[in-house]
Order: sequence, then C-alpha cells, then structure tokens
Amino acid sequence: MTATDSSTGVKDAAEIVLAVSGLGVGYYPRVGERWDVVAEVNLNLRAGRTVALVGESGCGKSITAAALGGLLPRNMQRDRGELRWAAGVDARPGRGLAYVFQDPGECLNPVFTIGNQIREVLPPEDVPDASARLTSLLRTVGFTESERVLASYPHQLSGGMQQRAMLAMALAGRPRVLVADEPTTALDVTVQAKILQLLGQLQRQENLAILLITHNLGVVAEMADEVHVMYAGRIVESGPVALLRNPQHPYVQGLLRALPRLHGEAGRLVGIPGTVPPLGRRPAGCGFHPRCALGREICRTQEPPWRENQGHGVACWTRGAGSWA
Amino acid sequence: MSTPLLTVDNLRVTYRVGRRRVAAVKGVSFSVARGQCLGIVGESGSGKSSLARAILALEPAATGQVIFAGEDVLKMSRAARQVFRRRAQMVFQDPLGSLNPRLKIGAALAEVLRVHGLARNRREAAAQTAAWLATVGLDAEYATRFPHELSGGQRQRVNLARALCVGAEFLVADEPVSALDVSVQAQILNLLKTLQTERGITWVLIGHDLAVMRHMADELVVMQAGEVVEHGRAVDILASPQHPYTRELVAAVPDVDRALQCRA
Repeated sequence: MTATDSSTGVKDAAEIVLAVSGLGVGYYPRVGERWDVVAEVNLNLRAGRTVALVGESGCGKSITAAALGGLLPRNMQRDRGELRWAAGVDARPGRGLAYVFQDPGECLNPVFTIGNQIREVLPPEDVPDASARLTSLLRTVGFTESERVLASYPHQLSGGMQQRAMLAMALAGRPRVLVADEPTTALDVTVQAKILQLLGQLQRQENLAILLITHNLGVVAEMADEVHVMYAGRIVESGPVALLRNPQHPYVQGLLRALPRLHGEAGRLVGIPGTVPPLGRRPAGCGFHPRCALGREICRTQEPPWRENQGHGVACWTRGAGSWA
Repeated sequence: MSTPLLTVDNLRVTYRVGRRRVAAVKGVSFSVARGQCLGIVGESGSGKSSLARAILALEPAATGQVIFAGEDVLKMSRAARQVFRRRAQMVFQDPLGSLNPRLKIGAALAEVLRVHGLARNRREAAAQTAAWLATVGLDAEYATRFPHELSGGQRQRVNLARALCVGAEFLVADEPVSALDVSVQAQILNLLKTLQTERGITWVLIGHDLAVMRHMADELVVMQAGEVVEHGRAVDILASPQHPYTRELVAAVPDVDRALQCRA
C-alpha cells in the first residue's frame, strides 16, 4: 500500500501517489444530523496511470473528487477514512493535486486575461521568471501562439481552447495528481477527442496520476487503466478497465445495455427502470435493489459484502460469490 | 415509401450580427416520410438548432420552402398556422427549463389543451391529462406534482405529453436526451420509438450523439457550418461514412467496444 521509492528521479510506474482508504463524506443538514453522501471509497492513484470513477448523476463521484482536494461545500465534511500521500509529495491545495472541471467557461474569470489568471496561480518559485514559465505551460497544453492566448480574455477562446487554458493552470503547481471532473462533457466530439489525446500526452510527460470522473463509458474505455463504478455513494464494482467486457454487478451490466452503440445490433435499448435515489434516501441493504432484476430478500435488508478476486471487486449478494473470476 | 410529410427545400436562415448578415443554415434540402425518424447531427454552430426552429416556423428570417403536408409553413396564414402548431410540436433539451416552475403538471397540460380549444371544462382537461400521462408512462398522480419534484426523465416525459396532447403527428426534438443519464436516456429513447411505431408519429431528432442516431434515426443528415455534407440511411452512413467530416465525427466518438478491443 505504501509508496516504495520516493527519491527524486526514480519513477516507478506503479508508485502510489495518493492512497484513499475508507473515504466517507457526510452531509450535515442540521446540527447533530449526518447523512452519508459517500462511503467506503478506496482508490489507489498511481503515477502515470488513470483511474476512472463512473456512475450516473447523483452517485457521488464529483463529491468524492471534491473531498480529495478539500473542495467540499460547507455543509459537507470528509469525516471517514484517510488520504495517504507518497513521501515527498507536497499535499497543499493546488500543489500535489489539481483539478480540471467540466465547464471551462464557468471556471475562468471573464474580466481577466488568461495570462493574468495563470500567473495568479504560479507557485512562488516560478514568480521571478513568470513569463517564461507561462509560455512553456501554454506550449505544454498545445498552444502555438502563446503570446496571443496569454493576452486573450476567456470569451475570445473556443471551448476547447478554454479547457486547454484550464489544463495549463492546473499544471502550474506541478501537481502529481490531476483530478479531471467530466473534462470533456461540454465539448463537441472532435474537440473532446483532442483534449483526451492531450490528457494522455500530459500524463506521459509529467507522469501524472489522473482521476477521471465521467459518465461516458466510451471515454473510460479509451482512457482508463482502472475503473470504479459508483452507485448511491458507494463503489459497486472496480477493477482493470477490461472488466467492462464482462461486468458482474447488475448496475454495471445495466449501464452497458443502456448505452447506444456504434457497432453491433441497432435494436431497442434496455434502460434501467427507476432513478438514482436522492441524497438521504438511500434504500436499506444494497442501494441498487429497487432497480435490480436480481433483487432478493437479503438485498433489501443487508448491505452486500465487498468480494475481490485478482483485483476485480464486486459488491453484490447474487454476483461475485467468487465463482466468476 | 409514402409521400413525404415534410419537405425542406433550399432553406436558409440568416441572423444579423452588427451590420453583417450571417447565414446559419445555407440552403438545406431534405424530406421526411410519414412515420419515419430523420436524424440531424452536427457539432455546435453547425446550424442544426436554427434549422429545427425554421421547420416549425419559429424563425422569421428563414427563406426557401418548408412544405408540411402540402402547405408551405413559411407562408401560412394565421389560421393555417394555428392548425399547424397543433400538428407539429417541439421538444427541447432542458426539460426543466421548458416547464413553468409554478404550475403543477396537470395545470400545465390543461393550459395547453385550453389554448388550443381541446377541452371544454376542467373535468375534460383532467381526463385527457391523465390519459396522456399514461401514454408517456407516468402515473396520473403526477398531475398534482410540480416540475421540481420530478426527475429529469419524468420531466422529459411530461414535455412529450404536452407536445402530443394537442394531437401532434410531427415532433421536432432538439437534443431531447442530452441532459439525461444513460439509463434514463434509454427509457426515453424507447418511449420515442414506441410513439413512432405505435402512433405513427413522424419526427426529426436533432443531436450530436452518433450512437443515439444509429439506434433511432431511419435517415440521417450530417451538417457542418450550415450545410448538409452527407445524407442517407443512418446505418449505412455510420457503417461507412463517405464525407471526410462525417468520418472525422465517427472516428472521434469514444466507443466502448472499439476501445476495449484496441486495448486487449
């Protein structure tokens, strides 16, 4: 579980930069009342690897991401579990871990130029030579005319360029972990493809550990090494990305059946009946049981145990009894 | 195939930007047969939403011809347009933004029925409302709820009920499932398909998701910068795109099957 080698220069591809164990986030609507938002999340973010967190809206994936960098809203708290950084990583906000979000237009300040906004987040050691650092950051994210971009206001850039600028800003603090929360959801597919390609390239260059939050299983299959599927605040299935070929949990199977495909049969889709339970109304037992075709008596009353076999884990009473590996 | 319900011929939509006029749709032509689904794909700025609005005579600056059931929509009299508005309806992307937050679902539907003179009194309106809610798969008790009490998928069902309750036979759906999660998206797409096959609804589906198009559209129009670059059967286009832009689009879609295969 611990990082093996932290001496500079040595880059073990599998070095765990940030280990998240038993993470839980509580929502405090009133004094003395706590609702579970996220519970029992375990993630190992490794240098140069991408971990995807998937699920529908309201499953807790963005809250998990926010909890890692201390960005939770005021009425929520990370009050369970721990975050363990590899030795030598600067865990201060904006240094060890940086974010890119879905809507770059919302994240950028409309009244300052891109240059000013990136300059503002430069760490102190880069300030004396700020303009050289800005130019190099912009080049890293694929801008060729860095002068023009630095002098631009956000509205003068397209959505894809804005997202590149956000990436430059995220990289300014030389993070080891990049949390990308739906980074391409607001973009057109051709632009999305370019941004994803850039993310992969930056990961290789900087040996970044990426936590990719998305609802798009296609993006997951293309980008991720490891996938964790969340439902109602818990991880229900996780493992190497190849598990999507043969998922075990009924929710994950349902997601894949509901997904319109570019290949194969173009017949009717199979939706999952019902919707994600709202915050605070998570059903007892397995959170998915009201929507599950395999639901049994035990699913209604007891939470399913987490069973893991060769790195592929499932939380389900019916599946994952050990025979499926 | 039967005679087309809708024929669009050399349609242009222009907007004034400062002193210049900019064309959003530059002479587009196609037709939709009765009971079929025509998909229109393109990226933002390709003119697909302007086109959708123009088809329903919501875009005063449109020129060209939009023939609906033998009549030119762009040159209709007021009376004819009133009838047209009943036969052709629009469904929007944001199901919450298109419902009045202060009206209960029942009241929202009843208002539409009243405006179009389809219900004489409250009891008739309530009966029709309940029937339409059932058609889109919602329990009658939803009539007493406010929009914010519904989930995204339920709201989109309400929007469909509202479009259909005036007797619409033609729907233009502009990104109707883009704001929905995939499990709910599948439910709504299936509902749309059922309406098409069982009630003979003809529709134009505007979107950016090629995989959705493959499942839903009979014919597909690919737009780029206000022009149609490819037009044909949806399955054929997606199996072997001819135009370079279509090819680029198809290649850019993150595809689970392809990606897993490549990584195996």
